[in-house]
Amino acid sequence: MNSFILQTFNGISYAALLFLLASGFTLTFGLMRIVNMAHGAYYLFGGYVGLTIAKLTGNFGLALLAGGLAAMLLGYVSDRTVLRRVGDDHLAQVLITVGIAYIVGDVSLKIWGGDAQKLPLPLFLRGVIELPGGIVYPTFRIFLTAIGIGVGVLLWLIYRRTQIGAAIRAGVDDREMVSATGIHVDRLFVIISALASFLAGVSGVLGGAFLTVFPGAEWEILVFALVVVIVGGLGSLEGAMIGALIVGLLDAYGRWLAPELSYFVLFGPMAVLLLFRPRGLFGSANMT
Amino acid sequence: MTQRRKILIVVLLAAALVWPFVGGQYGTSLMTQIFIFGMLALSADLLLGHAGLFSLCHAAFFSVAAYTTAILQVRYQVPTELAAPAGILMGTSLGLLFGLSVRTRGVYFILVTLAMGYVIWGIGYRWASFTGGDSGVTNVPAPSVGGFTLSTMLEYYYFVLAVMLLVMYVYHRLIRSPFGLTLRGIKSGEARMRSLGFSPPRHLYTAFIVSSFMASLAGVLYAYFNKFVNPVSASLHVSFEAVLMALVGGTATILGPFIGAGIILGLRNWVSSFFELHLAVMGLVFIIVVTWAPDGVIGLLKRFIDRRKAGANHG
Repeated sequence: MNSFILQTFNGISYAALLFLLASGFTLTFGLMRIVNMAHGAYYLFGGYVGLTIAKLTGNFGLALLAGGLAAMLLGYVSDRTVLRRVGDDHLAQVLITVGIAYIVGDVSLKIWGGDAQKLPLPLFLRGVIELPGGIVYPTFRIFLTAIGIGVGVLLWLIYRRTQIGAAIRAGVDDREMVSATGIHVDRLFVIISALASFLAGVSGVLGGAFLTVFPGAEWEILVFALVVVIVGGLGSLEGAMIGALIVGLLDAYGRWLAPELSYFVLFGPMAVLLLFRPRGLFGSANMT
Repeated sequence: MTQRRKILIVVLLAAALVWPFVGGQYGTSLMTQIFIFGMLALSADLLLGHAGLFSLCHAAFFSVAAYTTAILQVRYQVPTELAAPAGILMGTSLGLLFGLSVRTRGVYFILVTLAMGYVIWGIGYRWASFTGGDSGVTNVPAPSVGGFTLSTMLEYYYFVLAVMLLVMYVYHRLIRSPFGLTLRGIKSGEARMRSLGFSPPRHLYTAFIVSSFMASLAGVLYAYFNKFVNPVSASLHVSFEAVLMALVGGTATILGPFIGAGIILGLRNWVSSFFELHLAVMGLVFIIVVTWAPDGVIGLLKRFIDRRKAGANHG
């Protein structure tokens, strides 16, 4: 029973990490219909920059900020230089962003080497906390979960309760119509895209502290985030939340019960969805 | 078939036959690899070029077939006559399952196939007790059918060439058939085809299975060529590159994927001999091809020939 609760906590904290990544992916797609396979590379790059900063300064907060900003810069550059030109063709978008991810991955390998590296944590995040009921759990995982929930609530408030959020939701439904009402969808996209790559970078630093950063981490985390988005439905923030929880929990139980076959559990939600809801839980019909 | 096309085919065939004597050991090995990956790219292009489905899980069929054949041959000493068909069967069975993804379209199809393909890599990598993990299955013996063993690179080259020609011929017949026409009809207007009484999901599912069969065949050939199979053959990069090869050469053509395989594999071997960041160079190739030459080499050639013809008419 105890290990079941522990695994549930593990799943929830992994879900928090996945949500940070998937929310950005799903919103940029919803708004501009751009499939960004380089999203995992932002995560990786943010993680590595955070690693360097954390080692240099010993300040984890600074590492989080630096990782986020580095990924944001990377996202901005790839948006401006190539992504802008591809238009609506998903094939072109995928191949170009895969190209960007290859370049980022290979250059990172050259700079930071091929070994898996763990971000050093500040003292107050290193230990364990005793929860009511006698369960002992790593502080950092709780910190991560809190960040995930905090960002989730914040994003949800912006998305549902502000003018910008309304514009985003409208843009997801019908981009042309929103432009026609005088809202600069392009400017909106720059904001969302910056936010998304920033969150990806931050999640890279957070992920680096408990999953380590290593070459290839960008694809692993991207695929998990994509399954979250497939399950939740493209373009939906609520979908990303629910999807992250489902995938995070299934992954934790899978690793616990059948470590060698843990990737199998990713098939489950996808197969169910393909059969019953091909557009995901919260996906809308115009999202292809 | 036009006269010019016949000449082209004869010239290419002659070139393929004499190639081992020009290219030497290294050239023969590289060309065998080009044939095998060209078949993989062709299989992905059946969906991409004719049905308009952008699949990112072809490495899964390729590697499952390769693993099955390799494991049967190495661990259970199953003869090639059974191990090779078993590999194709396993890969195609996976296609039956993954083919469910044709219920989705557009981005969902891309993301779902990518995730499914990744799971196969993950299983190859993590399920070490069965797949050999990181190091994979080694020492795959030379294929031996009916007491005849293809033990040298040269023999295997001609065998792969023969299989490839057969695949090309059948593929040619397939895309010229009413079935191929239906696929292209679905690609250009699914709603219209539906209202004409066709069932797009059924046709797309069939195409998916045929495509996975071809990818599995390439995978089995790869297992015997490479003599070992490891998770790299199941990685996303293989799926990405299969699509890129089709695109570089020219999609919806038969020769295109093979030209693309030649360019990509040739370029990679050449670049990696003097430059460490060859994956980054491949990334640049992805970006350059998609941005400036989306119709591939064959598209560029066609444009060049058309322009010359137009010039000649004016003169």
